[in-house]
Amino acid sequence: MRIFTMLSKLNVIWIDAVTCYGCTHSFLNYKEISSLFEKVNFEYHPLFLSNDLEIKQCDLLIVEGALKNNYPRLGYSLNELISKLFFKAKKVLALGTCAVYGGMFGEGLMYNKEQKGHYYKCRDKIINLPGCPPHPDWIAFVLDMISENKKIALDDLNRPKDIFAYTSHMGCTRNEYFEWKIDAENFGTKEGCLFYFQGCQGPFTHSSCNKVLWNEVSSKPRAGTPCFGCTEPNFPKNDLFKTDTFMGIPANIPLGVSKRAYLTLSGIAKSLNNERLSCKLINYKCGDNNEDK
Amino acid sequence: MKINKKIINKIEGEATLKIEGDKKIDFVQIEFWQYHGIEEYLKNKNYMDALVINPRVCGICGHSHLHATVKVIEKVFKAKISKKAQIFREVTSLLEIVENHIKWFYITIYPTQIKDKEYLFKAVKFSSKISKAIAILAGQFPHNSYMVPGGVTCDPTYMEIMRLKDLIKEIKEEYIKEIMDENLTSHDLERFFENLPKDIGKSLNKFLVLGESNIFKSNGDYKNVKEERNKSLSKNALYNNEYYEVGPLARMIINKNKNIKKIYDIYSDSIYTRMCARIYEPLLLLDYIEQKLSEVDLCEPSFLKPNVRNGKAIVAVEAPRGSLIHEISIKNEKIDYYNIVVPTQFNLASSTKENPSPAQAALMNEDIAYVDSVFRCFDICAVCMSH
Repeated sequence: MRIFTMLSKLNVIWIDAVTCYGCTHSFLNYKEISSLFEKVNFEYHPLFLSNDLEIKQCDLLIVEGALKNNYPRLGYSLNELISKLFFKAKKVLALGTCAVYGGMFGEGLMYNKEQKGHYYKCRDKIINLPGCPPHPDWIAFVLDMISENKKIALDDLNRPKDIFAYTSHMGCTRNEYFEWKIDAENFGTKEGCLFYFQGCQGPFTHSSCNKVLWNEVSSKPRAGTPCFGCTEPNFPKNDLFKTDTFMGIPANIPLGVSKRAYLTLSGIAKSLNNERLSCKLINYKCGDNNEDK
Repeated sequence: MKINKKIINKIEGEATLKIEGDKKIDFVQIEFWQYHGIEEYLKNKNYMDALVINPRVCGICGHSHLHATVKVIEKVFKAKISKKAQIFREVTSLLEIVENHIKWFYITIYPTQIKDKEYLFKAVKFSSKISKAIAILAGQFPHNSYMVPGGVTCDPTYMEIMRLKDLIKEIKEEYIKEIMDENLTSHDLERFFENLPKDIGKSLNKFLVLGESNIFKSNGDYKNVKEERNKSLSKNALYNNEYYEVGPLARMIINKNKNIKKIYDIYSDSIYTRMCARIYEPLLLLDYIEQKLSEVDLCEPSFLKPNVRNGKAIVAVEAPRGSLIHEISIKNEKIDYYNIVVPTQFNLASSTKENPSPAQAALMNEDIAYVDSVFRCFDICAVCMSH
């Protein structure tokens, strides 16, 4: 079924629920935003120039932020506002981890953390785009696909597979250290994997952060910061810079392998003691200057 | 007297103005009714978690919250950091200020006079480049946590520093050409004032800079700041029991910037001077960033492991909208207490007609038609206010 008529732009109402506006500001890093505006009409947006909000039909309702009782928004209570708009919209995009699972601030549309949320029964019309924030290219991809009436392949949690079929580990520049079980014991190094000591959740977090690089250039693990698993229902977990362990063994292991097989493989990899990766990659010399030579 | 209630949105949230007066504004109450409870959320969490939670106070100035968080923890730990880490932190924090000012100009205040989406695209052109520059060091923008007690998590190569320098040069050249030059010539700013008087929005003429910073001189001690509840869900911030304006205009006046002083001498603390100060500030910051990047020595460590201690501390940093204060108490590696005072609490406090806050004073006695532009000239961050 086509969700909007040809020759017209995709008509979007974007609502700011309980949010920090990180999703909007992430979207404002999408360089080709003017091309997208040729396909998408933001009937209402919480920051952009747009009309005053009216409760009316739209092709796509975007909810940025979590649901919360007794939270005023635009002269309504937030949950009443979302409910009025939800049933008039042809499709709904839960944008960002707060809208998808509740995040730090409240409940999401389809999920309340890992439990079923208020709109779970209406899941056929929801697309979930978690991330704190979601990558600008991810947002543009979803808007472009919907505006072109293309079907987006979704996973079990209604997340686009083009983005969430990957783990944030894929493409990480520290993957070789992960393979050979060489850990970064401190921050501020190019070398070492952040999985064992710094709490990196990359191997079991669905996201393409290291494939579709942030702001075109980097990602948290590339900058030496662990992945905090911000696209998953339990974000933010407690002790974000510590790896959860059980009897000294990481409680969460890479997706798709048995714990026993993983531990066997890890033991062998560690015993091989990769010499090349056991030292600094680059030793800059203080006072490096061609003029001295 | 008739009270006109007006919801102001598109300010990272919304505020309600209760305006007394028909054509001229006699008095205005400013109300914020959203509350996020970040400080409560932080209680009993590991102190490191604050580095991930606090940027989520705000999607546009989260990096300033990260900077304040890491500094307040380091103050408890009496931690030292390398000059390299210090420079990186300063560079990314100042870049966030530059980005915020551009977005405020073209997305927040510009549409109150000029309804043209092209200016949104112009803001995006700049913001995407500035975010990219931040991400070279910090991994991403918004919402990175690359500042940690003891330094930064990144360890860039010469090649990355070279790319960053080139990008800053490009941003600065484009800024001068397309937004404002060194002589404060700005076609877009003048266009904004085509149908708006430049001398409206005069405020208290009292300025405050509290941030501990290498580039901005401070003129006060953040220990003299007190919060008090107002009639809505927000808190007012007062310095020695008085209201002061914080932000770029305060920074320019306290730091005796000659260019802004010339405009101030003509228009006083009006909407025009306030906007000029904010649009001019990025030029100073980009110059400073270029200079700092030339001082980077990559031989220095990015991170020096600190000793974890119990204790309390309070710090202030200069955020895009003004002085930002974070206060912490740590017990056994856990957060016992956290308090945040944001710049909007100073500028947009809601007080009485006899003792108004900066935004209230700026609105009083002005034509009601100018409410939107005058209110937004302070650069409101409603989401920070609702932390």
